[in-house]
Amino acid sequence: MNVLDIRGLTKKFGEFIAVDNMSLSVREGEIFGFLGSNGAGKSTTINLVASLLRPTSGEIRILERNIAKHRRFAKTNLGIVPQELAIYQDMTALENVIFFAGLYGLRGEELKERALEALQFVGLEDKEKSYPKNFSGGMKRRLNIACAIAHRPKLIIMDEPTVGIDPQSRNYILGSVRRLNEMGCTIIYTSHYMEEVEEICTRIAIVDHGKIIADGTKEQLIAAITDMKNITIELKKADPELAVTLKQIAGIRAISVSDNLITISSDLAVDNLGTILKLLIDSGSEIKALEEQAPNLETVFLTLTGRNLRD
Amino acid sequence: MNLLRIAVKELKHDFRDRWNLMFMLAFPLTLMLILGFSLGSTFGVIAQVGEIRVLVRDSGDNPALSDSFAAFAAGVTESGVQFDDWQEGTEGRTEVEQDLYDSYVELSSSGIHIYSSSRNSLKSDIFQGMMLTFGDRYTAVQTISQTKDAARALQILDDAKGSSDYVREVSVVAERQPGALDYYALAMSCMVALWGAWSASNLIGGERRWGTASRLTAAPITKFDIFTGKVLGSLVTNMLCVSIVVFVSKYVFGAYWGDHMPAVLTVLFSEVVLAVSLGLTVSYLFNQASSRSVLMIITQLAAFFGGAYVAIGVDEDLGIFHWVTNLSPIRWANVALTRIVYAGQIASMWPVVFLNLGLAVIMLAAAAAMMRRKEGL
Repeated sequence: MNVLDIRGLTKKFGEFIAVDNMSLSVREGEIFGFLGSNGAGKSTTINLVASLLRPTSGEIRILERNIAKHRRFAKTNLGIVPQELAIYQDMTALENVIFFAGLYGLRGEELKERALEALQFVGLEDKEKSYPKNFSGGMKRRLNIACAIAHRPKLIIMDEPTVGIDPQSRNYILGSVRRLNEMGCTIIYTSHYMEEVEEICTRIAIVDHGKIIADGTKEQLIAAITDMKNITIELKKADPELAVTLKQIAGIRAISVSDNLITISSDLAVDNLGTILKLLIDSGSEIKALEEQAPNLETVFLTLTGRNLRD
Repeated sequence: MNLLRIAVKELKHDFRDRWNLMFMLAFPLTLMLILGFSLGSTFGVIAQVGEIRVLVRDSGDNPALSDSFAAFAAGVTESGVQFDDWQEGTEGRTEVEQDLYDSYVELSSSGIHIYSSSRNSLKSDIFQGMMLTFGDRYTAVQTISQTKDAARALQILDDAKGSSDYVREVSVVAERQPGALDYYALAMSCMVALWGAWSASNLIGGERRWGTASRLTAAPITKFDIFTGKVLGSLVTNMLCVSIVVFVSKYVFGAYWGDHMPAVLTVLFSEVVLAVSLGLTVSYLFNQASSRSVLMIITQLAAFFGGAYVAIGVDEDLGIFHWVTNLSPIRWANVALTRIVYAGQIASMWPVVFLNLGLAVIMLAAAAAMMRRKEGL
């Protein structure tokens, strides 16, 4: 069964088309990765699914019911973990979870039990009476998740749930996502961290300019570019103008320059590494590290969008 | 149920916010004490007029006037006016200039001439008022006596002139005068009620700022529940704050609130409803920072022209500022409360209550319409 069906979804803000006739399906039990650089349209799509925005046209179905006609049903079966923390700093952890879970119709003892269970799930059972303003970034993120799961939704949307936290908290959250999935939740997961998506997602869609430009398992996506290779070069100081010059070298499909790191997606059959190095040395760039890899998800993204995920 | 859940959450936010409590409770109560005690000497002062001394020179060439004046003098002597007859060699005007007399009166065939000193304008004004009344009555008698049915007309006048009502005092609750603390207790309570606009302006903006707007909108509740729950919570919070200010001023500071507390609270609560509606509407019309500035200007102007800082009497003649002060909701409420507390005029509350609630309904409807059209909160 499809937990989420999107058909011909379009969202315009004035003349700007944020989501452009998008269609996709998320099946029950999937951890669905939603990849796209800033402004690609993934947050708008998520906001449309969560009924935070009204679509210009198209249809969204959750558990096979149109959300425009069955809004309450759709919302009851949906849990949302927004990218921004969505918790009250002046209410205790337990009060936060109880308040939000209460909005989904839970009452009395059941409400308290579910709230405590959610706090336990994210490892905050000993912090139920503490205020989030005294929490670390990772603990706040975990509470953000607890507020979204206490009502046991069928579909959970997690928008960048690991932004700005320590590795330990990140591992805890990724473990929580897997456990939620094992408990029967379908999850839509967006992240800027490619390795997270590769690690936990069972299926991935790449969004660019409001459209799904690729959709499949990690292996399926990589298989589509087996004739490509990925070259990563770290410079002491990278000039963004280098991308323009390098793009003219034969075989290069896409280049991204960010944080002194040049990522190149190139045809596997073309031996152009020597030319690339010569151009960099002639331009006065100081090379700190160089790596040539078989295609990965990063290569897929760069090849398809011409941009790095963090751009 | 969700509506109440949201209202209770608002109460928790407001009463856990120490700065909000400082602003809504500690600040007005402190200001009330400071202004009440520092300006205490300027309120409720009774001016001691003392005896009014008048020098009278009657030339005697108008017997009718002389007789009438003698009767008048006999009457007003009881009111503290001392008449002395002019003595040969005395210069009346000089006597007044030297402050030996408050007024000098000349009676002659050409009429009555009064000379008064500006050194003691209060005494002079009182005496001139009496003389004006006397002059009117004398002229009336002279005119009527020349008519056909003079006998009947004079009888009517005789019935009236029997009394010496040249000065009539009408006092409302004569034994109770509002002191500075009493005045500022009323004014500050009205001001606190209007400050409800501040917290109301944060009702929706706060959710956006905390990031919780998305979670609320994604929950299976209607915008109506969110809107109504928030308004309800804000109303209860602000009504509690106003009640605390009223009861602390009454029972701790000893301010006078009269005998009609339900009517007093009805006026103040209607002011809270107006304030919350104003805050919500402004928050939809402007962004967060601008709405704060707009409300700051509105509330401070309303407080100033409403007499919250500088005392303005209920019936004070304010000239061209009269219409400006009448635009202040604090002024409406303050005037109504003064009449309820000091004159027992409970009916004074109705125009203010209807005006406040009427404006509130219009603004709430506008805010609800803007919320409905907006995506998200």
